[in-house]
Amino acid sequence: MTSQTPGTEKLAATSRVDLERDPRAIVGAREFAAPRALVFSAWTDPKHLSQWWGPHGFTTTTYSFDFRRGGVWRFVMHGPDGRDYQNRITFEEIVPPERIVYRHGGGDDVEPVQFRQTVIFEDLGAGTRITWRGEFPSAAERDRLAETLARLGDYVAATAQA
Amino acid sequence: MQYLTDRLFNRIAKLSLDTAFAALSDPTRRAILARLALGETSVTELAKPFAMSLPAVSKHLKVLERAGLIARGREAQWRPCRIEPRALKNIDDWLNHYRCFFDESFDRLDAYLQKVQAQGHDKARDQSRIEERSNDQPNARNGKARRDKPRRS
Repeated sequence: MTSQTPGTEKLAATSRVDLERDPRAIVGAREFAAPRALVFSAWTDPKHLSQWWGPHGFTTTTYSFDFRRGGVWRFVMHGPDGRDYQNRITFEEIVPPERIVYRHGGGDDVEPVQFRQTVIFEDLGAGTRITWRGEFPSAAERDRLAETLARLGDYVAATAQA
Repeated sequence: MQYLTDRLFNRIAKLSLDTAFAALSDPTRRAILARLALGETSVTELAKPFAMSLPAVSKHLKVLERAGLIARGREAQWRPCRIEPRALKNIDDWLNHYRCFFDESFDRLDAYLQKVQAQGHDKARDQSRIEERSNDQPNARNGKARRDKPRRS
């Protein structure tokens, strides 16, 4: 970060999604003007999560929440169109306040496409950077699949322009 | 993020995303697609880099075709294989929705964090103080942490 006038610090407002530098997965980053421990704590309790999880217009109802390694967050997302979407997240790794790794999906009743999500919390002094990385699907080949998908995405983009 | 898949199922009927992902889960089939991304070609040509029989390659092509990822020409004997851009577009759309999920969730998280900080007495902030203290302890014992120069921002 560059030097800033006190009180006017403005952190990057949009996520950066970079397929080029890490073609094995989908990666994004975002900076928040809040201390790392606070940003991390927003992920640790369904009371906080329900305030921000999901795209605009979505609300979240939690059935159960077990924030520890191997623990499961079972919840439903209510879409703005009135539809409900069942979700299951299994926490694979929790290192406060630095890192959360979870698996999304799994089970017949939820998301058929599984993926593993890594969320890194980085202390920037004046704020916090979250770097997220999605690898999917659940198969052992997920890295190379994501790579193929990234390449195919480029191909589609090129085709669309042609 | 089941909604991502649901959106795709609803908006672009017929192609089942998990069928497409299943088709893509095999390294040979991904290699075939990568080759086809360069342009259409014959089964014989596709089989060349692989140590497998033509029928084995044909089997993979059938899986890709069923998933809607490739199309095969009816013309002539060599039945050229070509990639199906629309199906790939569907996958690309899914990936965009996936990115969108984080973009919009993080918009909301940003707003929430601002609100929590403005409130000051919010529980999340208490929580953060507790975590900050517990994080400081190991460093404090080493005689570091607090005496360090303030981090440059």
